[in-house]
Amino acid sequence: MRQLSIMVDLDRCIGCKTCIVACRNHHDIIDHENDQPGAIPNYLRVESKLEGTFPSLQEDYWVVMCQHCKKTPCAKVCEVGAITKDEQTGIVLIDQEKCNGCGECIDKCPYKVIQFNKQNNYAHKCNMCYDRVTHGLDPVCVDVCLTDALSFGEKEILLMQAEADGKQVIKKMSTQSIIYTKTP
Amino acid sequence: MYEDGWIPTVCYQCKAECAILARVEDGVVKEVKGNPRGRGKACVKGMAGITSLYSSERLKYPMKRVGERGSGKFERITWDEAMGIMETKLTELRDRGEAHKFTYSMFPHSVTDPKWRFVNACGGFISTGLPHCDSAKIMAHMHTFGCFPNHHIAPMYNTVPKGGLMILSGRHPFGCLDDACVPKHILDAKARGAKLIVIDPIYRTEASKADWWIPIKPGGDASLFLGVCNYLLANDLHDKEFCDKWVREGDMESLKAYIADKTPQAMSKICGVPAADIEKLAKMVAEAPSACIDAFKSIMYGNGMDWGHAWSTFLVITGNLDNPGGQPLPEIAPMAPVEPVPAGPDLGELGYHRTGKNREKFDNYNFFLEPTWYAAQAIKDDGLKVFFASECNPALSEMGSGEWRKAVTMKDENGDYKLELLVVTEIMPSETMKWADLVLPDQTNFERWELLYMPWWYNFGHGTALCQPVVEPIGEARHANRVFIELGKRMFPEYFAFKDDVEYYDIELAGVGMSVKKLQENGGLWSPGTAGFRKYEDQGKFNTPSGKIELEWQMYKDIGQEWPSPELPLEYRRGEEEFPFILVNFRTIFLNNTGAWSQNNAQLRDPASGLDANPCLLNPIDAKKLGIADGDTVTMESGSGKVEVPIMLTEKIIPGCAGIIHGFGQTMGKVASRGNWIGDNELIADAGSTLDEQDMRGGEAHVSTRVKIYK
Ligand code: SF4
Ligand code: SF4
Ligand code: SF4
Repeated sequence: MRQLSIMVDLDRCIGCKTCIVACRNHHDIIDHENDQPGAIPNYLRVESKLEGTFPSLQEDYWVVMCQHCKKTPCAKVCEVGAITKDEQTGIVLIDQEKCNGCGECIDKCPYKVIQFNKQNNYAHKCNMCYDRVTHGLDPVCVDVCLTDALSFGEKEILLMQAEADGKQVIKKMSTQSIIYTKTP
Repeated sequence: MYEDGWIPTVCYQCKAECAILARVEDGVVKEVKGNPRGRGKACVKGMAGITSLYSSERLKYPMKRVGERGSGKFERITWDEAMGIMETKLTELRDRGEAHKFTYSMFPHSVTDPKWRFVNACGGFISTGLPHCDSAKIMAHMHTFGCFPNHHIAPMYNTVPKGGLMILSGRHPFGCLDDACVPKHILDAKARGAKLIVIDPIYRTEASKADWWIPIKPGGDASLFLGVCNYLLANDLHDKEFCDKWVREGDMESLKAYIADKTPQAMSKICGVPAADIEKLAKMVAEAPSACIDAFKSIMYGNGMDWGHAWSTFLVITGNLDNPGGQPLPEIAPMAPVEPVPAGPDLGELGYHRTGKNREKFDNYNFFLEPTWYAAQAIKDDGLKVFFASECNPALSEMGSGEWRKAVTMKDENGDYKLELLVVTEIMPSETMKWADLVLPDQTNFERWELLYMPWWYNFGHGTALCQPVVEPIGEARHANRVFIELGKRMFPEYFAFKDDVEYYDIELAGVGMSVKKLQENGGLWSPGTAGFRKYEDQGKFNTPSGKIELEWQMYKDIGQEWPSPELPLEYRRGEEEFPFILVNFRTIFLNNTGAWSQNNAQLRDPASGLDANPCLLNPIDAKKLGIADGDTVTMESGSGKVEVPIMLTEKIIPGCAGIIHGFGQTMGKVASRGNWIGDNELIADAGSTLDEQDMRGGEAHVSTRVKIYK
């Protein structure tokens, strides 16, 4: 199966969350009326880890969105078959028409990236900007990333690129389609 | 009128004003991104601009105060009524011969801002809408090598060569209050082999990417770099050829004599950076093909002028002026004047400030704008009678903001407010608006015309950008520039004989062979494309009185300040026993600091996509001594005020310092008021009433104080 992927360069991510708001804008998941961000689900989140004690510190930032897993634990538990892995792109999609809002997938996703939309009563998550990538565009988060920490393409090519740049793929996070890299 | 598609305009979620594209669909802005014809980036604030545009909190019509100032109660009025109130009061002031008692606090987006023109026509003053964050840097660079920088003309990171040093000293470029392409350019330069050195009491995102993080005592920058300069000069590691050619005769000898005892060992005792590290930094500089310094917060301390002077000196002796990777000198494009040009206030007669009884103290103060902090004092002394504010928030974001709030409610013996009229133009409720007599609804950058002409912007290839409306304005909102052109037409028709703002910009643009229409056709941007390196070589001189670089500031000889003092700011050198911690107030990417839009923006006040709290950062070593645990609520108290804050323990802060975000804590507006009310300016003394702490040469102590912390 063809697999499109996003590569996250930990040497460049500064945790600025520009990608999060751009993703919200593009997918129209803003609640202007209520000025209530808490009720709005995000397709991606920023994580960070600080190591060491003052003054010898190291901190990394990275983004976590749907990993478009090979084995799709989310799809496995979905009784109505609303979650599928698209053959052409390897993107994992939730069919809003089919989703009955039972929330099973939310519990099963090891990355905790499926959100429940209370207003519409269905599960949703990052679709790797399916609407854009099938038209030859980069996903929005990749397009706007403030530092060009994100890149997009065929998984195999991104891996080759990482190797050519002397980057290490961070194994514990790279078993899925989103590739996390850092200079060793 | 409004097209669908990606339309070029300019962001205004902070003062950096990045060129952006807005995607419009059926008359609604749906998406934002950087304009690839500019450098193609917009930050999280820019992305969240749509939330400001469509917030239910938008101010939609003019309002007049009902009840006392500060009660925050208003009633709707018409634009005509609002214009009438302003016209009547300003005319009365002028007829009384007190036009100079009018100040407009604003952030001029251009040297040709029409609001500034209005103020000049009135005979009033402007003060920048934010405290003069980097006035010390501007004055220091002007005194030394005659260039007019701004924080917007940071070193050009896109020109840093392999091996070049990028030194950030109390600077947060990843916070994008500069052009949003800067973080990428810094990381690109790093990828090319340049080195990033971050000097900061707090480990922030820049430090996480740095080759070397140097924790420093706040305000220690001047001493650190004097130590570096001492080492370079003592070991003949400076750029002799450059200095021989460009430094005024005798200055190098005097510098060497002055700096002889500013050894790394001696300076280490002041700034807390080990002497070996100061030497290591000096050696790195000597070996590097280029070095630049970018500083911001550090320039706002009480010793900002000394630091600016040390910084300029460092650039000069290392030959890092207008070279790739060094400090760029801007080039000014000749915008056409809109004739007739109203004369500005007579500074010779009126002074740079009207601090009443303190005026003679300011003989050496020669920053070209009014200080912002003089306001409270001037109201008390009857030197300020009418105050307008656009895109700024003095009730919250200026030092001594408590004094400001008190002053605007002071009354005279007749029971009238001493400050006769306070007008605020705003997009969303702001703290300052609470005290206003008139509130005028402003437009966001998606609704207005504006010409951004900033020759000191980040990229010298970027001359002018056009902000153009991409959607219909909300409610009756009118852009402040339009309002004051209209008022100008009523009051001074001779100076406002053009049709409207667009025609005004057209006249200005003719100076560079452009027009609003041509700018639109040109993707919203125009650049002279002529700026190069080492422009002083072509000119054969620097823009100083001697034509040479002037290291010794002879004009300050009589006050004994011809050389930079290495001492920490006065505020840190006293009261250590009672107030053991130095307050470090820092910036973040989620807050514009002065504008109400980011305070009230639902996206920027969301823990997932922004930030919603302002805890006090404390090193665990200090917390242990105080018996404080993570999450405890404590009182933080300075000589001027106190606030209640939750504690966040972190290894990221140097022991002995307490860190909070600057300019946080608005109580107006439903989004802003959700966060806890912690404003750092509650703790900072009002400069007007503590003039001994001011740098009277043009620097201003905005952020310096000591605090104590207790449960
Ligand atoms: S990350 Fe979660 S939601 Fe995405 S494919 Fe894997 S299990 Fe499903
Ligand atoms: S790929 Fe698209 S949907 Fe997924 S996180 Fe990025 S912007 Fe959002
Ligand atoms: S925009 Fe880029 S740098 Fe910022 S948080 Fe997202 S991935 Fe990281």
